[in-house]
Amino acid sequence: MNPHLLTILIFLPLAAATSMLLVPSAKKAAYKYMALTTGLLQLVLSGAMYHLFHPKGAGITDERLYQFVDHVPWIRLDMGSLGRLEIDYFIGVDGLSMPFLFLTSLVMLIAIGASWHVQKRVKGYFILLMVLDMAVMGVFSALDFFLFYIFYELMLLPLYFLIGIWGGARREYAAIKFFLYTLFGSVFMLLIIVGLYFSVINPETGAHTFNMLHMMDAANYVPDSLFSAIAQRELFGMPARLLGFIVLFIAFAIKVPIVPLHTWLPDAHVEAPTPVSIILAGILLKIGGYGILRVCLSIFPDAALQSAWWLGLIGVVSITYGALVALAQRDLKRMIAYSSVSHMGFVLLGIASLTAAGTAGAVFQMISHGFLSAALFFLVGMLYDRVHDRDIYHFRGLASLMPRFTVFVAIAFFASLGLPGFSAFIGEAFVIIGAFNAESIHGLLPRWMAISGSVGILLSAAYFLWTLQRMFFGQPRLKGGVEWAAALSDASPRETLIMVPMLALAFLLGIYPALALDNINASVLALVELVTGN
Amino acid sequence: MPAYTLTYPLLAALSAVLLPFAAFLLTAVLGKKAKHGTISIVAISLSLLAAGYAFTQVWGNTPIHIQWHWFTIGRHAFHVGLLLDNMAVLMLVLVCLIALPVHCYSIAYMRGDPGIHRYWAYLSLFCFAMLGLVVADNLLLMYICWELVGFASYLLIGFWYTRDAAVQANKKAFIVNRIGDIGFLLGIAILHSSFGTLDIQALFGPQGLLTAPMGADTPAIAAEGTITSGWLTVAGLAFFLGTMAKSAQFPLHVWLPDAMEGPTSVSSLIHAATMVAAGVFLLARVFPIFDDTTLLVITTTGTVTAFAAAYFALAQYDIKKILAFSTISQLGFMMVGIGIGMYHVALFHLVTHAFFKCLLFLSAGAIIHGMQHAKEKHQLDIDPQDIRHMGGLRRHMPLTFTTMLIASLALAGFPFTAGYLSKDALLVHAFEWAALHGEAAIAIPLVLVIVSILTSFYIFRLLAKVFFARPSVLANNDIHIHEASRWMLAPMAFLAFCSLFPIFTFHPLNDGQVWLLHGLVAEAPTLPPLRPLHILVPALATAATLVMATLAWRWYVNGHYPIRTKGVLYRLSERQGYLNELYDAIIVRPLLKLSLLLLWIDHHVVDGAINGMATAGRSLAGIAAWIDYHLVDGLIRLVGNLAWGAGHVLRRSQTGRVQQYVALVFFIVLVILLYHIFAQA
Amino acid sequence: MITLTHFLVVGACLFSTGLYAVLSRRNALLVLVGIELMINAAIVNLVAFGRYDKSLYGGQVFALFAIVLAAAAVAVALAIILNVYKFYKSVNPEDISNLKD
Repeated sequence: MNPHLLTILIFLPLAAATSMLLVPSAKKAAYKYMALTTGLLQLVLSGAMYHLFHPKGAGITDERLYQFVDHVPWIRLDMGSLGRLEIDYFIGVDGLSMPFLFLTSLVMLIAIGASWHVQKRVKGYFILLMVLDMAVMGVFSALDFFLFYIFYELMLLPLYFLIGIWGGARREYAAIKFFLYTLFGSVFMLLIIVGLYFSVINPETGAHTFNMLHMMDAANYVPDSLFSAIAQRELFGMPARLLGFIVLFIAFAIKVPIVPLHTWLPDAHVEAPTPVSIILAGILLKIGGYGILRVCLSIFPDAALQSAWWLGLIGVVSITYGALVALAQRDLKRMIAYSSVSHMGFVLLGIASLTAAGTAGAVFQMISHGFLSAALFFLVGMLYDRVHDRDIYHFRGLASLMPRFTVFVAIAFFASLGLPGFSAFIGEAFVIIGAFNAESIHGLLPRWMAISGSVGILLSAAYFLWTLQRMFFGQPRLKGGVEWAAALSDASPRETLIMVPMLALAFLLGIYPALALDNINASVLALVELVTGN
Repeated sequence: MPAYTLTYPLLAALSAVLLPFAAFLLTAVLGKKAKHGTISIVAISLSLLAAGYAFTQVWGNTPIHIQWHWFTIGRHAFHVGLLLDNMAVLMLVLVCLIALPVHCYSIAYMRGDPGIHRYWAYLSLFCFAMLGLVVADNLLLMYICWELVGFASYLLIGFWYTRDAAVQANKKAFIVNRIGDIGFLLGIAILHSSFGTLDIQALFGPQGLLTAPMGADTPAIAAEGTITSGWLTVAGLAFFLGTMAKSAQFPLHVWLPDAMEGPTSVSSLIHAATMVAAGVFLLARVFPIFDDTTLLVITTTGTVTAFAAAYFALAQYDIKKILAFSTISQLGFMMVGIGIGMYHVALFHLVTHAFFKCLLFLSAGAIIHGMQHAKEKHQLDIDPQDIRHMGGLRRHMPLTFTTMLIASLALAGFPFTAGYLSKDALLVHAFEWAALHGEAAIAIPLVLVIVSILTSFYIFRLLAKVFFARPSVLANNDIHIHEASRWMLAPMAFLAFCSLFPIFTFHPLNDGQVWLLHGLVAEAPTLPPLRPLHILVPALATAATLVMATLAWRWYVNGHYPIRTKGVLYRLSERQGYLNELYDAIIVRPLLKLSLLLLWIDHHVVDGAINGMATAGRSLAGIAAWIDYHLVDGLIRLVGNLAWGAGHVLRRSQTGRVQQYVALVFFIVLVILLYHIFAQA
Repeated sequence: MITLTHFLVVGACLFSTGLYAVLSRRNALLVLVGIELMINAAIVNLVAFGRYDKSLYGGQVFALFAIVLAAAAVAVALAIILNVYKFYKSVNPEDISNLKD
């Protein structure tokens, strides 16, 4: 086994981007094939890694339990009285990140497939896509906080341009909104990172360090430092560790997103081109949830314990609020965007439950939502490509015109609303069960939260079925009349080829969740133990 | 202890479940090529055989349980497995036994429909889900099948998806069922958090964690987990909520009448015999969880449902709606059976009801089929399901009339039918239960008696209007309504046989000898018997049936109709108690209003705050820019301007005249000199 | 008796006359004459104060030096004036105002 497998996985897209630079702009077709090859290679590579991954590799706090680790010194700078700067190139994989690496390579491949007909500035488009790919992979595997932050910020840049250049009518507004929202969170995150850096000492070298694993061990904190658990320092009248947790949480929660920090999402989704919507919903939102697990919970377990109630509340509010607003939407894409808010609320609720079932359910829900939302946005894109309209009221009886497309939509809708047999059911059911168990295990969440969360399941049925009934059933009646009816051809082979694997995967994970859960379990247990102590 | 080897009965049960699924997959893949439904029919026939084999092996023996590891979440392992006990195999056979005739019937009934290949696929999917539900060995698996049943019924109700009413109805059915599903899920969550297992045998088996003596206030407290009595009640109510939706109990029954928009063969399968019975089955499965409070709630709800539905059935004109309300009413009876603790009797009624209600629907389907053909042939502008347009059909469809009559008598609880055995047993037990529960409890059996009288009335009203009354539309010309085809009649004949007493007991008038009842419970939960009732109640019920039959004849056949159709009570019945309007007004519309309000808030408050912050930021930046331009930069420019102004003034001295320069120099030198002179002085 | 004061008075008169010529004449040549007068006033003063340096006769020596310098200066100045005249066709200093801003 090549020890640098993970590094290769991360930087493969960068190599592709570099070689794309060398290809003259005139050869438009070359770029998409290069991107496709890269995507396929990545999928094979991450699939192989997923296969090689040992389910007992819990990771979390213990470097020895991480797999595919690459740990080399990167920046060593003597800063005089401030000590030696110690930044490592430190990447590794555990049960929390492994599924996401696979998910990323899959969703990226789908996004590339969805970009097949991009005509505008093809070269730049695919290069940005590749850079984004690299950054996302990096975020999911970085274990050095500095490295993490670099990848995290690097991710923003291509997205900004992808939305801002290739987007819809209000693309600039959406791109700037997205950029500022995320930057708002991450800037404050940087302050906390610096604070942590000066609080934590690498026990081996005695120097300050950005190593996240060292930050998770209370013994490594300088006794009187800002974030030391023993010192209990205060900042702006509140415990410093709690403040650090909240700031990091907000940074990631914007990505999740939570109500009321969610309004960038509908705009970004609606304005972004289909492939970018797919990436946004499929991967980007998961970085929020992943960050909360990897960073907030692991580095500030004590503060997480204190804030669990609030996290759960935010989750419940996101679930119901997102679902209700989705119910009122006329724009299909916006409806799906709000449904994402609702479904990601489950993730937060599961994390807040701090039980093994709830947290594993949350991770599972993220994976499931990853390709289900990708599928949903792809389906909307198919409709939009044909008639350039997404208004639910402008369509009726599509089932008679596009039977195969309708089958895909129906499966994706039912899978999303949590029909058993599909992955979302497992995620949502175990989030609810976990949240329910929380009271009897450690009493962090009251049971009404689980009950209110389950109302979200009901509402999701309402808005999905309403849309299905309104747009697809009944006698065909279209706003664009005969012209539209001619344009609305059924799903093409390329589109079928993209849809089938995604829905098949949702089905496979739904009937055999052990495929993912086996690899997640050990890490989730270790994490829950780290936070709750049992 | 679950077994880990696959014995023959298990294999049979497993194949009974999986064959329809295979048929579903095959039909779905074949698409339009699978028009004849051969695959589905072969699958369900084989399922019936396999189920029959499993039944003979398991009935009366110890339950067989097998499970395989499915997945682990945290430290909890979840399994898939089969639990074959008497209840499960009985249901297994029942579902196949109802499904096979319906399949055969569908060949003729659905012939020529352009989407028939979908029909067969959906039907097989439904059978798979329903069969899976009855053999599931744990609640999670059961929940999965439970929802799949709902999903399959969604597909079947909305089979004619171009009809708006059908797709409205299936949406309504699924969403109302979802309400129940949440209850079920919460029940699962409560049990899982209290006991850490969802295994049916471990929880409710003879030595189960929750198995307690009848009527005890607190269940057995097991070593592995405990549950407070408060949460036990909540769990019981949560499971009951699930049942209320699936088994169409008041006030969640509203989806069932609307669901009649599906093909009639579908209605007969899922809305009479199987899907709606799943709720009763679930309650029987989890019976030990119910404490006195929950049982009382179940009894009351069942009674209210039975009465309300029977009342709503009185004034309906749609033949299928009448049957739908009749189903709801009978389900109410079964709920009462569960509520009074006699769940084996409830299951018995479920079985008999499955046969005769299925038959009622199939017969109704035959009538509708005939009416539809007549309508198309003669270009009539009628609703083929409206009983006002029928009448005198007895002569056109004698065989259908016979089967329908048998089924109706069974529904009314006439002696020598299966319905007599089960329904009157329920009534008697209700009286016995009431005797134990104080004076107010007597209301429940009394209401049930009224309900049986109403039942007799509405079903004879149906028979009278359809088969005997003077033909209305049909009388005008020599329209002939053809008798149903052989593929339809054969299943009906079979079900008609099953609606009679012989397959349940050799003693047509005594329910005490029914073999089913003895198999369902190891030690029958008994209520102190009140002997006289066992004769009195059936006798009274039979008498009432006869009276009602006569009444219906007088009113509808002889035309002595005494009721004002404008009366409040009449309209309340016809409009189904205005419940749909009520829900629309107090739930649906407020919810939509709320969602619009939240959308407004999202746009104007949440996003408004963000955009406001952006605007504020830009204004702040504007102010800063103004300060930068006017104050900071102003200062710099002031210095420059001063220098420039000074230069501008001074340049005037630069006349270019040498002499003036010299004079100036001289003058300055002079001043310096004078200064020096005076300074020294 | 002629005292030092008389010499200084004569020198001052000469200087003033010269200064007046320099400042007021409209002819460069006459301005030049004025300059010469001022130089000569200085020379008179040098000779007068030379009386107090009997050993080295610094005053007389400087006077002679100044006379020579004045002669040289006149030569240069005349050459300039001649060139100015060639260029401007005028010897009036007021016309030559190129230095003006």
